[in-house]
Amino acid sequence: MDNNIEKRVKLVMTDILNIPEELINQDTVSSNTDGWDSGNHIQLIVALEEEFAISFDVTEFESMLSYVDILKLVKAKV
Amino acid sequence: MNEAQTYQDSAKREEQLRKEFTSHVQVGNRDHAIQMARLLLKEYASPKTYRFIGKAIRVDKATGSGLRPFRMALLSSFSIEFIHDALFAHGVANGLMIEFYQSAFGAFRQEILDSSSGLYSKAVDLTVLAVEGEDWLPNAYGRYSLVNTNQAILKDNFKRELSALLDKFRTNSRSPLLIHGFAQPMHSLLGIAESFNNKGQRQFIQDLNDLLREVCSQYTDAFVLDYQALLSHIGGNHWYDLRMKHFAKLPLSQDAIGELARETMKYSRALLGCSKKCLVVDLDNTLWGGVIGEDGLDGIKLGSTYPGSAFIDFQHSIMGLLSRGVILAVASKNNLSDVEEVFAKHPSMVLQQTDFSAFEVHWNSKVESLNRIANQLNIGLDHLVFVDDNPAECEQVRIHLPRVTVIQLPTQPEHYSKALLENGWFDTLSISTEDIKRSVLYEQRAQAEALRETATDLEGFYRDLDMTLSFSPVNGKNLPRAAQLTQKTNQFNATTRRYSEGDIAGRMADPAWTLAVVSVADRFGDNGIVGFMMGYMEDKVFTIDTFLLSCRVIGRTVETAMLAYLCEVAASTQAAILVGEIVPTEKNLPVRDVFERHGFVLKETHESGHSIWQLNCETKIEYPAWIQHLTS
Repeated sequence: MDNNIEKRVKLVMTDILNIPEELINQDTVSSNTDGWDSGNHIQLIVALEEEFAISFDVTEFESMLSYVDILKLVKAKV
Repeated sequence: MNEAQTYQDSAKREEQLRKEFTSHVQVGNRDHAIQMARLLLKEYASPKTYRFIGKAIRVDKATGSGLRPFRMALLSSFSIEFIHDALFAHGVANGLMIEFYQSAFGAFRQEILDSSSGLYSKAVDLTVLAVEGEDWLPNAYGRYSLVNTNQAILKDNFKRELSALLDKFRTNSRSPLLIHGFAQPMHSLLGIAESFNNKGQRQFIQDLNDLLREVCSQYTDAFVLDYQALLSHIGGNHWYDLRMKHFAKLPLSQDAIGELARETMKYSRALLGCSKKCLVVDLDNTLWGGVIGEDGLDGIKLGSTYPGSAFIDFQHSIMGLLSRGVILAVASKNNLSDVEEVFAKHPSMVLQQTDFSAFEVHWNSKVESLNRIANQLNIGLDHLVFVDDNPAECEQVRIHLPRVTVIQLPTQPEHYSKALLENGWFDTLSISTEDIKRSVLYEQRAQAEALRETATDLEGFYRDLDMTLSFSPVNGKNLPRAAQLTQKTNQFNATTRRYSEGDIAGRMADPAWTLAVVSVADRFGDNGIVGFMMGYMEDKVFTIDTFLLSCRVIGRTVETAMLAYLCEVAASTQAAILVGEIVPTEKNLPVRDVFERHGFVLKETHESGHSIWQLNCETKIEYPAWIQHLTS
């Protein structure tokens, strides 16, 4: 199931950030990823909330700046 | 069926719809692609679906999806760019490829006031001014105070600022303008004492909305979107997303964005003349519960208790559409005598058989019925909305007549009215007295058709009609109707140029232009304003820019009288040559030979088929002897 969550997070990131799934890994952070701007950050949050039927708060929005952080947060909520 | 199974089926259907949509887009099958986009938006409305539709269209942009380009400018006090995907997707579902002009948030005043701003650099089909009341008038919202807020001064200042903005906008742009109205605050400062105090905050917001409407009504093509009413569909708690408001200057939830996109499309459709004209309904399990052929007159569900009560509500909704000018028709597989018995004898029927202008009740296919209805009423298939409870019938129509709008009714009749009305398919920018009279007129037309069948010769038919035509210059009173005719007339329309009230008003002010509307009355009644023409003088040449006639009076030589009138106008302005243009469209076959039939000579034909016709003004076109004409 955990693998499944990873796959789904990657698919959402691929859809929003337009980067290939295989390039998303432990090192993927917003500051080194083209396309991960503030506008796409909002879209990413909205898409993750929709995909997993979960909800984040503003403090969490601010902490979701890497693939690792996002995965940790999502896993804690589903 | 368990939950997981339902989820899987739903995912499978979504995948299937997406696949069909993509393949229709790839082969340029526009009408089917539009149908699929509508289904996706109805069943899977979400940011994911909006993005999917947008990506599929943009990938295939090169193949020319056949979508009509539409430029929309968005001005706002918040980050409204997050609505682009939803608007674009809803645009596709309406045959449009929307291109956005987006101003920076909060810069709406500067954009409007600066004549050299980007807003004015290109022609725009629709400008939306989406400002939250809280941003525009904070003293009426979060900073409202019983002590410090002076309502009179605030109103006065708002009126002045709004007028200045609208003046400037109208000086620089002809684009129709859609302004969001003000929402009520979630919590009134006075709480439950609101209605006991004449300084109530809610009443004040309502006053501001009235003021907004009043000011906008003084400008051409300035419309107010009833934001509070739209918000109340889902309620303030679901409309606003306070997290996003503070984090991203985006106060709207995703649901709100979807609602707003759909509402905005109603205006785009109406501006483009794509409002639907005729509602075609099924009967069994649509107007009443059960099947008349099996359950009999006493067995069908229609009355004061559920489910009969829900069908009565639905009939009232249809009655409402009829009263504002929507034409009604029936397409049902039934024995005609059974159906006629329900209309004649069932005590709870709201709709009468005579409310329907076309009645296709037999056992042939609905596809055939819809084709016959379109022919009989002389309107295009894309102006029909077909409503049926049977998924198979709906599917057949989607496949074989993709231009028809299909509403598949939900399984429970209490939700029928919402399904019929939520997309505003029949919405028009204004409702004229002609619209209100229309349903009667179509009935008259059917009677006139019957007369034509009995009249032994054509001239006798014309004489029997006893027609009187009135020509009037365009003025403030008939301007909305003139604009509406250019937006809605497709068949007898020589150039199919769509004009807003503002466009026409601009030409009224120009002395080179002549504009006139035509009203027709006959022995069956007054048809109201059914024709519009305008042209301009330049170097002794009078060019007819617009020449159109509503389909309900086609084939009665009214066009001959209109050309005779134009000849008189041309002669009185010392024109030597009268020029007519034909811009061929898919729909305007009936008008193509109008100039040729009246002695015009073909001057040139462009590659596009656009042709130019000339008539020497010494050749006079005579009014038909059977038509009386009045000029005012």
